[in-house]
Amino acid sequence: MKNTLGLLGAGLVLLCAVPVVAHHSFSVEYDTEKPVKVTGSVTKLEWTNPHARLYVDVVAEDGTTTNWNFEMASPNILERNGWSRRAVMPNDEVVVEGFGGRVAADRGIANSVTFSDGRTGHDLRWRTPGWRPQCRGR
Amino acid sequence: MRKRLVAAIAALTLPLVAQMPAEGSANASPGQLRRAGGSTPLADMASLPTPRLPDGTVDLWGTWVRGGPVNDIAAGLKEGEELPLLPWAKALRDKRTDPEDPHNFCLPMGVPRQAGGFPWRFVPYPTHEAATHLFILWEGFRNYRQIFMDGRPHSEDPTPTWFGESIGSWDGDTLVIDSIGFNDKFWWDRAGTPHTEQLHIVERWTRVNFATLELEVTIDDPGAFSRPFTLYFTARHSAPGDELKEYICEENNQFGLAGGHPNPYRADPVP
Repeated sequence: MKNTLGLLGAGLVLLCAVPVVAHHSFSVEYDTEKPVKVTGSVTKLEWTNPHARLYVDVVAEDGTTTNWNFEMASPNILERNGWSRRAVMPNDEVVVEGFGGRVAADRGIANSVTFSDGRTGHDLRWRTPGWRPQCRGR
Repeated sequence: MRKRLVAAIAALTLPLVAQMPAEGSANASPGQLRRAGGSTPLADMASLPTPRLPDGTVDLWGTWVRGGPVNDIAAGLKEGEELPLLPWAKALRDKRTDPEDPHNFCLPMGVPRQAGGFPWRFVPYPTHEAATHLFILWEGFRNYRQIFMDGRPHSEDPTPTWFGESIGSWDGDTLVIDSIGFNDKFWWDRAGTPHTEQLHIVERWTRVNFATLELEVTIDDPGAFSRPFTLYFTARHSAPGDELKEYICEENNQFGLAGGHPNPYRADPVP
């Protein structure tokens, strides 16, 4: 088991072959041309719909601190993936990877959240044994 | 092309239902599965027979996922078919952009799109006789839909609403839901496929085995389409023990702040 806390975007682009949903289209809010990887201290996890939000204080080289607002899946989805509202707590040191907001410099969408101290987190491997929805005409 | 890219990225974004690990006995009866949540792996559930109520009626109980479109309603067409959109409707679909989707602002997704996202259930009104009402509870946006099962006809002039007026009946083992009275507000998909208040939908739901619920939905809207057409979707039983969860979309909806999109549905936008 890796020390991966969350793997939200599994990189599977299989329309209708994988059960997926998001409250909105990813690309209208976030820019794949703006990859983000930050290390910082968690200030808050909002376990709310339509999206859970992880807030992380990130200190830049010049000493300024930015409180990043990272969007995640719905808590309903995260719980079905093995997360809980206590999966990550304030003051946890984490590495967040994802993509930045199209216009907001302090917002992003989290693709993965990893404890920076190497602590083992949640295993969020896909759990879909033998399950492939069909949505194409017969 | 842009919409295809958006659809692909949307599909990449988030998993809906990651089934919990399957453990324990695979020999539980459908009744045990239904009442206790059960522990039969999904692959085995599909081989279990369609459950029935004591009177022989098909039992639709269970938590379902899918059964409707997400990105493009045309995904439910048979191979080679295209949506018979009237020119104005096609032009509107092409003009609409993703940030304007009502669903981004916690507004309903309509029929059959509402089933395309989060889990949902059929819930009959409890009675000692045949159910007079059937409800669909959707986890997504915490919406519900009321289906009259008491044999009444449609209203003469129903007030247009997001989910319309639905009359249900059984055709053998198939639940038939005939709906009119829709408003023209919901989008059928992220592509922005429109409809009008002339919309008439007939859904035919068939539970072909314990874990599979097939939908054949015929859409007749002479205001937006040149002819009726039929879509096919399949809902699957969610993981054993998976129940509906609370989902209050308005609780913390920050859509638009990262991408710079205003809410077009606010009558009096806050600066």
